Amino acid sequence: MTAALGGLRADACVIGAGAGGAVVAAELAEGGMDVILLEQGHRHDPDGFTARPPQMLAKLYRDGGQTLTVGNPPIGLPLGRGLGGTTLVNSGTCFRTPAGVLARWQREFGLEVSEQSLRGCFERVERALSVSEVTPELAGANAAVARRGAERLGWSHGYLRRNARGCVGSGVCAFGCPTSAKQHTGITYVPRAKHAGARILTGASAERLIVERCRAAGVRAQLTSGVSFEVHAPIVIAAAGTIHTPLLIARSGLGSRSGQLGRNLSLHPATAAFARMSETVDMARGVPQSFYVDQFAEQGIVFEGIAGPPAYAAMSLPLSGARHAEAMSDYPRLAQLGLMVSDSSRGSVRSLAGRTLIRYDLDDTDLGRFRTGLARMRELFEAAGAREVYLPLPPGTEPDRARRRDLRLMAFHPLGTARADARAAHGVLDGDLRVHGTGGVYVADGSAVPSSLGVNPQLTIMALATRLAFHLLGKEVPCHS
Amino acid sequence: MRLLLALSRRRRGRSLLARVPVADELAQTLASLGRYDEPERARALGFDADAVIARGRALRRAEGRP
Repeated sequence: MTAALGGLRADACVIGAGAGGAVVAAELAEGGMDVILLEQGHRHDPDGFTARPPQMLAKLYRDGGQTLTVGNPPIGLPLGRGLGGTTLVNSGTCFRTPAGVLARWQREFGLEVSEQSLRGCFERVERALSVSEVTPELAGANAAVARRGAERLGWSHGYLRRNARGCVGSGVCAFGCPTSAKQHTGITYVPRAKHAGARILTGASAERLIVERCRAAGVRAQLTSGVSFEVHAPIVIAAAGTIHTPLLIARSGLGSRSGQLGRNLSLHPATAAFARMSETVDMARGVPQSFYVDQFAEQGIVFEGIAGPPAYAAMSLPLSGARHAEAMSDYPRLAQLGLMVSDSSRGSVRSLAGRTLIRYDLDDTDLGRFRTGLARMRELFEAAGAREVYLPLPPGTEPDRARRRDLRLMAFHPLGTARADARAAHGVLDGDLRVHGTGGVYVADGSAVPSSLGVNPQLTIMALATRLAFHLLGKEVPCHS
Repeated sequence: MRLLLALSRRRRGRSLLARVPVADELAQTLASLGRYDEPERARALGFDADAVIARGRALRRAEGRP
């Protein structure tokens, strides 16, 4: 069914209200452009949050939080859905893009980015999101366990920077912040965009981009009700996320020249271990992701805090049957820490019979990183005084003997499926994040990021979106410092 | 998901799931998630979801947060 929605016209149409789309929509609208922002999900009212993981997984995540990669091993890939995208359900960790990564982008992908050139973008985003370091008091006892272990071993560590204001450590970042302390884009940039006049349509799925004579002409979309409509705009910015943006571009018959569209999928595969301590930890009191250990970052291994309520802990505790029940009975004394790998494996995204297929196999190097990381994690917990350590491996399996199928993995931070490369033969986007060979079609999400970052990517995506917005406005990014 | 949970609750279903490790793991995960989400069980372990939400709501109202 096609119905007119009043002949929607705008200077720019942005698809997706997550880390990239919300930022670019707000900056463009405040810069004087007439903007339409399409979001497939809905606005989530904090009054509807319950702090109960099963209900919130179903409400705030794609596929109820059960999106899986196909490969060895299969990996869960949680993705947020709604105004705010994954920023609605992430832990709020904010890292600037490491200098070494930016240097690599210059060297290998011909991108004109550096710490200096992006500084204004980062500062602007950090101000907008109230980014600051977590205090030890707010971090809670779970972080204190990891800190004690790291200090005793002399390993490099620190408290994380987060986009939170007035956080009281509710402990349920991944299930909807009940205090609205987390400054996700749904309560920061989206309201700014609206205030500046942007029209925001939720429950609107982009079906394809409309391109005429190799130039953007708009977007064809459909509302949840089944009503189809078109937005006519000379600038279209795809920000549907690393998994769905390449599929949208492919459906539109664009971006295929380099052969890279949908390829180069980079993830941060991750796992988590538990420790049973003598002291009370109460892991759900405090900021779940507040502390990191980067002693092995050069090897692609970073530990980051992770925690949650009993239901969350129960689903990730690597035990079964009576042992699981017995350990859970001591939940107040359980501590947890996550292991995140900066991957060298690469996957792909494509559509198969209308379904999204995410293919990703862990390579030997990354398997080695998990083996090393798990052994180091046990060392850390033992140094912290753990009575027992529960590694995410089958009973009797030592880390150095772990096989791919032994690993219980989740993954976060998908990147790279429409990567930027100044050379049209090697990338989908040019250095300004425009689809090679197509005027007016841009990308502002993780799919543009050409390589693994080794750190949480939301700030990188937001900074690149800020850079893109000011490029489209033909203005310099204002300097705040 | 419902099918997996239903299978995990039956003896024959469990033996069927045991042949597919990924499905078995997912079923166990979902079952654990549901079991420890029960308010009384969670409260006994020190987590009161209602109290967390009430505190959040009070803070948002008091400080005019979104």
